[in-house]
Amino acid sequence: MKPALLVKVLRDPQRASGLAPRAWELLLSQARAAGLHGALPFLLEDAGMEAPPAPRRHLDWLRTEALRHRDSMRNEVRLIARALADGGRDAEQLLLLKGAAYLMANLPPARGRLFGDVDILVPKRALPAVERALVLHGWTGTKLDAYDQRYYREWMHELPPLEHMQRGTTIDVHHAILPETAGLRPDPERLRGSAVPIAWPDGVQGEYPLSTLSPQDMVLHSALHLFWDGEFDHGLRDLYDLHRLLAEFGKRPGFWAGLVPRAAELELMRPLFYALRYAAALLGTPVPEDVSRMLRRAGPNRLLLRVMDGLFLRSLQPMHPSCSDASSGIARFVLYVRGNWLRMPPVLLARHLFHKAFISSRPAEEARTAE
Amino acid sequence: MPLLASLTHAELRRRLHEGELVLRTGPFTTRIRSDIAQVSDGLARLYAAHPVEDADSFADFQVNLLRSSGWRRWIRPQVLFDHGGNAPFTPLPLGQSQPMFEWVMNWCVSNHAHSYLIVHAAVLERNGRALILPAPPGSGKSTLCAALAMRGWRLLSDELALVRCADGQLAPLVRPVSLKNKSLDVIRAFAPEARFGLPVGGTIKGTIGHLAPPAASVARADEPALAAWVVFPRFEAGAATSLTPVSKAQTFMRLIDNAFNYALLGERGFEVLARLVDDCEGSDFVYSRLDEAIALFDGMSAEAP
Amino acid sequence: MWQVTPGQTLAARQWDDELVVFNSLSGATHLLGLGATVLLGALQQGPADETTLAVALQAEFELDGAEIGAELPPMLARLAKLGLIQPCPCSPA
Repeated sequence: MKPALLVKVLRDPQRASGLAPRAWELLLSQARAAGLHGALPFLLEDAGMEAPPAPRRHLDWLRTEALRHRDSMRNEVRLIARALADGGRDAEQLLLLKGAAYLMANLPPARGRLFGDVDILVPKRALPAVERALVLHGWTGTKLDAYDQRYYREWMHELPPLEHMQRGTTIDVHHAILPETAGLRPDPERLRGSAVPIAWPDGVQGEYPLSTLSPQDMVLHSALHLFWDGEFDHGLRDLYDLHRLLAEFGKRPGFWAGLVPRAAELELMRPLFYALRYAAALLGTPVPEDVSRMLRRAGPNRLLLRVMDGLFLRSLQPMHPSCSDASSGIARFVLYVRGNWLRMPPVLLARHLFHKAFISSRPAEEARTAE
Repeated sequence: MPLLASLTHAELRRRLHEGELVLRTGPFTTRIRSDIAQVSDGLARLYAAHPVEDADSFADFQVNLLRSSGWRRWIRPQVLFDHGGNAPFTPLPLGQSQPMFEWVMNWCVSNHAHSYLIVHAAVLERNGRALILPAPPGSGKSTLCAALAMRGWRLLSDELALVRCADGQLAPLVRPVSLKNKSLDVIRAFAPEARFGLPVGGTIKGTIGHLAPPAASVARADEPALAAWVVFPRFEAGAATSLTPVSKAQTFMRLIDNAFNYALLGERGFEVLARLVDDCEGSDFVYSRLDEAIALFDGMSAEAP
Repeated sequence: MWQVTPGQTLAARQWDDELVVFNSLSGATHLLGLGATVLLGALQQGPADETTLAVALQAEFELDGAEIGAELPPMLARLAKLGLIQPCPCSPA
């Protein structure tokens, strides 16, 4: 399968030099499909690449959009901190995950990111107080039926998403990074125990101590999120996040040495195996030889690996007509089912998917009606 | 640059089939792919005076309007807008392809072009000064816009006012004017020489028809204009024509209500809008008789600044 | 004691007796009357208590102490609700 133009440019931004006008058009289009359109202007700028005038206009538009997202997300984190501070501090620290963490810790994946929800990790015992504090400050449960509510609270590892009534922003409150029904149980206490405090950026005063997962845990979480969640709309973006995290943390002494032992401790060797394998294959992420060697033992048998390679490498391409072949849709579906299966025992899975297809899909469709 | 009218019907359909039709509307080019007859007919009727660019040039937007596939195509054929693999809108009945095209063209601009402050408004120019008519649907803005365009005002846009962040000038888009239900009859009577697309019934807004923009306006699509008036129109049957001043601060806030990307632009948006409001007079406008309305605006434009 | 919200920058424009103000932190835009404009302007110069603010208002408007006493708290509450100011545990400058 030929790698998409976008993948080539992510791997080596210099490939954008001398592109024909129509190829620029394709690059921008693929970047949008992959959710990486905000990152594109920054990645080209960092590589000293200057685009011709017509595409450059688009890069400027995208830069404006990305900066807006950044400011908006910073404000959101500030307001969440205020809500929790008022609520009595049961969560002790505001432990940010994913996008919000990258932003507040000034990490490379934040650059040009178009942010979605805020994800935070709190102790399970603090959930009621945290939910109360957020509701008091204007967040509300989105319209989920009783089934979906149970899905989140009992089977998943988070509260149902809470949406802010005025700002329309969403927060996902997790108490673990994998649901209780999954086979693997990376211990959230260990994750919180290793969390690193971060400073509030200048000028944005915060009323609550901020923290993120440790670098190794952040990488493991990213790997887990990518390969276990099953929804591949932004597979390439998530892989690129991982690539950038490794580029940044790889420079820090002790990072690589501690990564595999930590993965073993948290029972996350298999996701790490896949993550590093596909980041290296698609994006050329440099992985030390001894790390790859240690992880090979955690990989699946050769036959299964061949199947997985086929599935993942296809589904990690941008979801764009120029990148699809007949099997991409199937690949994605298989991985979606697998993702949900890994999170729930087979019996529960069927029921949930059944319910989702026949009850939850209608409202989403109405919301998409053209004006 | 060649105009769309210079293409034969066969060549137009071929380019649409292959995704090689690149149409220029003001500052933007759009690559259009479609296998739907209504789309190519609509383009031929309504975009005859618009320039077409080379198939290999860089197009700002990609609009794929295709018959949706699957079992539906035989029972209730539909058109699906596909934006590079993304389908942001639900499919519509095939007969509504032309209005869908117009909605999609608006969506492309308002969702991406963030070097402009984009306001939901009509824009027309006369004697070197531009009139901005912001209005929520149902206010009679489009009827007024169509009438003014047919009476000597240069049309810049019917739906989207593009305020350039760099210098505050308004950039023309010059696309067809979308008219609904009774407005269609009114404008046909008002301007018998006007050129229309085929009306389409049964949409969520009722019957929709499009008025082709005057060729003279299209020819001047690269000439920006300076805004002088912001007028909030309201059609009210039987009402006397009246123009009431609105304070600049109120005009400012009401323009925000009609803006697409004000929030996205942040402080820049604030500055651009403030500069626009500095240079404009804001008013509320109530009317019932089109000829009186035109007379009032003509009078306004004749007055010394 | 009151202060402007730390970390925020405001862009503002005044036309006659109305002020439009953009708050960079929240991204929101507000239309304020003159009374609120005076209060916001006073607090931009540094934290102040209600007595100081009352004096500022008195200097600008023809109001007596009782009127100001009644108007000031709700005005401050409204500005706080908009996120432009907040109570400040600090002591006067």
